[in-house]
Amino acid sequence: MASSSPPASSRPPGPFALGLESSANKIGIGVVSISGQILSNPRHTYITPPGHGFLPRETAQHHLVHLLPLLRAALAEADASPADLACICYTMGPGIGGPLQVAAASARALSLLWGKPLVAVNHCVAHIEMGRAVTGAVDPVVLYVSGGNTQVIAYSEGRYRIFGETIDIAVGNCLDRFARILELSNDPSPGYNIEQLAKKGEKFIDLPYVVKGMDVSFSGILSFIEAAAIEKLENNECTPADLCYSLQETLFAMLVEITERAMAHCDSKDVLIVGGVGCNERLQEMMRIMCSERGGRLFATDDRYCIDNGAMIAYTGLLAYAHGVITPLEDSTFTQRFRTDEVHAIWREKEVPVLNNMDSDTVAEVSIDGVSVPTPIAVDS
Amino acid sequence: MAAAAAPASSSSSPGWDFTCNFEVDYGSEEHASIVYKTLAVDKELQPDKVRREMTVSGGKLLVRFEAVEARFLRASFSAFVDLMVLITKLVEEYGVSKEEHS
Repeated sequence: MASSSPPASSRPPGPFALGLESSANKIGIGVVSISGQILSNPRHTYITPPGHGFLPRETAQHHLVHLLPLLRAALAEADASPADLACICYTMGPGIGGPLQVAAASARALSLLWGKPLVAVNHCVAHIEMGRAVTGAVDPVVLYVSGGNTQVIAYSEGRYRIFGETIDIAVGNCLDRFARILELSNDPSPGYNIEQLAKKGEKFIDLPYVVKGMDVSFSGILSFIEAAAIEKLENNECTPADLCYSLQETLFAMLVEITERAMAHCDSKDVLIVGGVGCNERLQEMMRIMCSERGGRLFATDDRYCIDNGAMIAYTGLLAYAHGVITPLEDSTFTQRFRTDEVHAIWREKEVPVLNNMDSDTVAEVSIDGVSVPTPIAVDS
Repeated sequence: MAAAAAPASSSSSPGWDFTCNFEVDYGSEEHASIVYKTLAVDKELQPDKVRREMTVSGGKLLVRFEAVEARFLRASFSAFVDLMVLITKLVEEYGVSKEEHS
């Protein structure tokens, strides 16, 4: 029975959720309200020396060290106590096993200590929901690009469907590994440093362009540019900046192409970019040009929300919790493979009355009107 | 919290020659059981090479590892203990023991 006086500041109405994210080289803990307001969202990144990637064991060690300080900071900054929380949310996957376990086990312990239910969250879906909440995009085609994932996604009938994806490595992995060849700094991230260097590039070097239907492939491009870089730099045929510029232009053109094709499929004009590579301004610029040519809009966020964070897990977990989803303790495992379309996005089905407003109604009506009979030409020929 | 470890050399069953027993005294049945429940969810990844048994008794968490090779024992033990230390810190920071109230 709280007779404690509420703070004078405008505190959003409850319930709140705590979210723990540790699927890759960042560990983040966030507190959010059901209205989507982020009360706190501290995070810490495991940064390796130039030329080196992050390994599972060392990354997990980093997360073990930073979890408790981040948890204290998240609760203090949000001015929230455990009693204010409706649920404890954590990333179930996809991600790297060792690092994932840190948030999963900690979430279990906090759930038992505080008597709060657990909600296991799909990392990819969390990126999408965070992007929608921050930008206000209602039903966009989503390009999810990060160090571990590359997918073009659109919502349909209860699930986020994958329209196209990488058939080997993620676009961020391609960029990160090329940054290692050039021994660029991993601080704040290898992709950021490639982006800065690419701005100084002048000469475009032809690279393989690998789009296969709705899918893309990056590993061959990486092998090609790794070999080309060593040779061309030795012979002074180009600069590291030229290589970064050429790599970005090629990779991003591929992503814009499959995104545009998905838009045509879905008859959608809006694009939302999420994931760590999504804060690349050149990618945003190229996508914005394509969207404007189609009379659509680009929705993107900056590094606070694009890059893995705890608030996105808390917010998505809270959406699920508000629709009756909880994860029993014995099922609160983690998994390295967890596809975006495995999740039943129950909150999307019911969100029109629950969360959203006129906008989604109007859009829904427009699309119903817009359903046209396919042209008969397509039938038999 | 107090911990005691007793690496034993051999022979509960053939093949599982490398064993390690240790216990952590939480001084509270409730806290020991929270740590137990938290860590019991994740199974050993190679059950044909490493086995882990845990019990809670008298406010203590008792853990036994058995492995077919020393390197598997070392890897599982070390990963387990690292995580257990964090969970123990969480319990120490946020746990309110019933014993303390009485």
